Amino acid sequence: MISRALCEEVLAAAASTGADYAELFAEKTFNRSVSMLDSRVQQSNDNVVAGVGIRVFKGLRSVAASTVDTSREGLLRCAGQAAAALGEGTAQISIVLRERLYGDIHPVRLVPGSFRPAEKADILKKAYFAAKNADPAIVQVQGNLLDVDHNILVANSEGVYAKDRQIRVRLTVNAVADKGEGTQTGSASPGARKGLEFFTENVDPEAVGREAARQALVMAGAGYCPAGLMPVVIDNAFGGVIFHEACGHSLEASSVAYGTSQFAGKLGQQIANEKVTAVDDGTILNAWGSINFDDEGTPSHRNVLIENGILKSYMIDKFGGRRMGMAPTGNARRESYAYVTTSRMTNTFICAGDDSNDDIISSVDFGLYAKAMGGGSVNPATGQFNFSVREGYLIRNGKVAEPVRGASLVGTGSEILMKIDMVGKELERAQGMCGSSSGSIPTDVGQPMIRVSSITVGGR
Amino acid sequence: MKYEEFKKIVIETAEKKGLTDYELYYDSSESVSVDTFRDQINKFSSSTEGGVCFRTLLNGQMGYASTEDLSPEEAEAIVLRAVENAGVLESAEESFLGEAGGEYAEIKQDLQKLPSAEELVKFALAGQKIAYAADPMVIDGTSTRLMNISEKTAIFNSRGLDLSCENAATGIIAAAVVSNGKEMNNSFDIKIAPLDDALLKETVEKSVKSAVKKLGAGVAPTGAYPVVFAPEAVSALLGTFSSAFSAENAQKGLSLLAGKEGQTIASEKVTLIDDPFYAENPFRRPFDAEGMPAFRKEIISGGELKTLLYNLRTAAVAGVKTTGNASKYGYAGAVGISPFTLVLQPGELSEEELLKKAGNGVYIDSLQGTHAGANPISGDFSLQSGGFMIENGEKTGAVKGFTVAGNFFDVLKHIEALSDKPEFSSMGGQTAFAVPAILVSGLTIAGK
Repeated sequence: MISRALCEEVLAAAASTGADYAELFAEKTFNRSVSMLDSRVQQSNDNVVAGVGIRVFKGLRSVAASTVDTSREGLLRCAGQAAAALGEGTAQISIVLRERLYGDIHPVRLVPGSFRPAEKADILKKAYFAAKNADPAIVQVQGNLLDVDHNILVANSEGVYAKDRQIRVRLTVNAVADKGEGTQTGSASPGARKGLEFFTENVDPEAVGREAARQALVMAGAGYCPAGLMPVVIDNAFGGVIFHEACGHSLEASSVAYGTSQFAGKLGQQIANEKVTAVDDGTILNAWGSINFDDEGTPSHRNVLIENGILKSYMIDKFGGRRMGMAPTGNARRESYAYVTTSRMTNTFICAGDDSNDDIISSVDFGLYAKAMGGGSVNPATGQFNFSVREGYLIRNGKVAEPVRGASLVGTGSEILMKIDMVGKELERAQGMCGSSSGSIPTDVGQPMIRVSSITVGGR
Repeated sequence: MKYEEFKKIVIETAEKKGLTDYELYYDSSESVSVDTFRDQINKFSSSTEGGVCFRTLLNGQMGYASTEDLSPEEAEAIVLRAVENAGVLESAEESFLGEAGGEYAEIKQDLQKLPSAEELVKFALAGQKIAYAADPMVIDGTSTRLMNISEKTAIFNSRGLDLSCENAATGIIAAAVVSNGKEMNNSFDIKIAPLDDALLKETVEKSVKSAVKKLGAGVAPTGAYPVVFAPEAVSALLGTFSSAFSAENAQKGLSLLAGKEGQTIASEKVTLIDDPFYAENPFRRPFDAEGMPAFRKEIISGGELKTLLYNLRTAAVAGVKTTGNASKYGYAGAVGISPFTLVLQPGELSEEELLKKAGNGVYIDSLQGTHAGANPISGDFSLQSGGFMIENGEKTGAVKGFTVAGNFFDVLKHIEALSDKPEFSSMGGQTAFAVPAILVSGLTIAGK
């Protein structure tokens, strides 16, 4: 990684035309993955991502430049481009870097890079064949085990010089079932900021395979979901994608700072049902979305976003914070050096409430029980979101009834938040990759079981 | 270190290890982008990205390794890693490297002289003036972003292939935010084409207009209707389900089109073409990701499935020739399959006539969440939509917050008419689209 002295030289060059802030982000990342299909290992890939991103600010202007040429000359050229793009002027700040040891609170016992591809394939095979052999109706299975060793260095004109090594592993199994009424898929994909011990200490690979198969088999026997407005019960764990999409993205400075968020200017106001308390917490031990410090060098925090329905905080990066007049919250993230950092989520979830799951289900005469959610997306300006229901059932007379396929939920974040009128006790988190302007990053979503009093269900 | 030096060390290392079948794939891109807030440039970025992928055939298995670190150490390490990766593979199918000697189309690479950063700034600021002048409801957050992209791809292999190709383009990304005091709405348009004042004006104004038109949108009533999909929505649908045309998916049991070549799979009005040389697409390519010649082909002709899309491996399995559709997602990706520009042949009706034919229904020009609300294997979709009601053959009130549900393969069969005006769109991904609006009967709308 780049020495402190060279960082100082490069930042000084970047700030030479009058920047009031300069930052260098260097990265060397080892991505490795093993994949299976048709009961065989079909791919074993590895990729090294290496490069540097430089940013300078002057007031409310930001310039970013990135390069794969990490030689001294390459870095100075990149810094020169940033300085030139900022305009003409003379240096206003001096660069003195002090090393920070923020520490790593996420222990890794078995560093994946020290295992051979064949050893990782053995873990994957356990999960794969548990899915494949679950039932004759399982016609295809895809499996993937990935590990990431993301080494970063952040240096900025506020004096930060800090390094972090983020190690993550994730196992994904997608099962396809066919009972003669068209194929349906099921999926399970747990991950953590941890080493390969995750697959002995936390997660049983075979259970992951079985879960993917179970879901596919249930959905393969399901009829289509009826369409219309109805109460919906959303289960815990990945169900939290509703909050991530319907609310989380609209609380990011990248839309709030420009007024293009449904929640801009609403701090201190009620934006959700009083049953709702929600948190973004990048400090959870070994969690998939956790970071020791963010990609601008700000230590990670636990930020209460909504407390009993009242909007308490946004998720803020340095540049967004300038326009908002607010301090960064440890949420600045980027996929890699090639993306421009912006405000993003880490581990975001609705906190546990006091309703029992039985009470929530039995409160619904006719509605949808979304046991497992798929992905979704949102327009932060209008708050309009959509997401798919991966495993759904109808609720009839307060009881979970037959499974239904093809359901999706659409609505507006601000409306749905007010309609979360029951919140269960069993908070769980689940892993996802969140895509936005600064690329695809690991985030956790989470919640206990919740009831939304009415929501548009797309089906047919 | 330059790519050419890196390449030399890779070849030396490969030869030293006794490798006889290998390929080095190089992909690099440079981009410059300027973004605006109010009447100022608030963001400027430039990036140089690129990397190499080395792959080698060992005992019938293709091992991959890739890197962005073009150092002498990595040039050696990448070869060793690819060998190790090949050792763990169990693929039952044969893998192939491209053979030299094919005929490549001459593409008139009128490498657009890209505007300078200063010119981009000028256009972006002019775009903001146009946006704010276009409608009094335009509010802050509206932005005009200008972007230059240039990319280079090179393939070298031990069979004698040594190819390279360069492309460059400028894009306008116009994002309008409007408010009537009660409600906010936004819209954005991307146009990748040689930059001029008229194009800028057209793109920015279109974005503002479509944001304004959707203010005060109601929710569509639930029911089954004829639906007119605007070209934007047709592109979104095709983009979501084009994986069904991949022979790879067909052979893995992940496409319902497996074994359907020669059969009728769509309305006779449907002719779908894959064209690597489509004139409006600035990213035209003479060769695919395996270095095989790219060419124009009919996928569906008059409703009949003529061919799936193949790369070398899937073509060998099927006993046919490759269609030159090998693709890679970035330099590091495994070789897969994708179309270049999907061209849906236009019909004969003007958009007005198409609406008349629909009678009473829904016009959909926005489909969201295609990565979540659609199953590319089964073809089922249930997608968040926006658009207008069609009443007595005319577009009336704007509608949003509803879903349209159906099955892509049924949609293909139930295309009743196509408009006569194709629209080209590219989101910068591997596949671009040139498609007209289509009328489809009997889709389920879920709203109020």
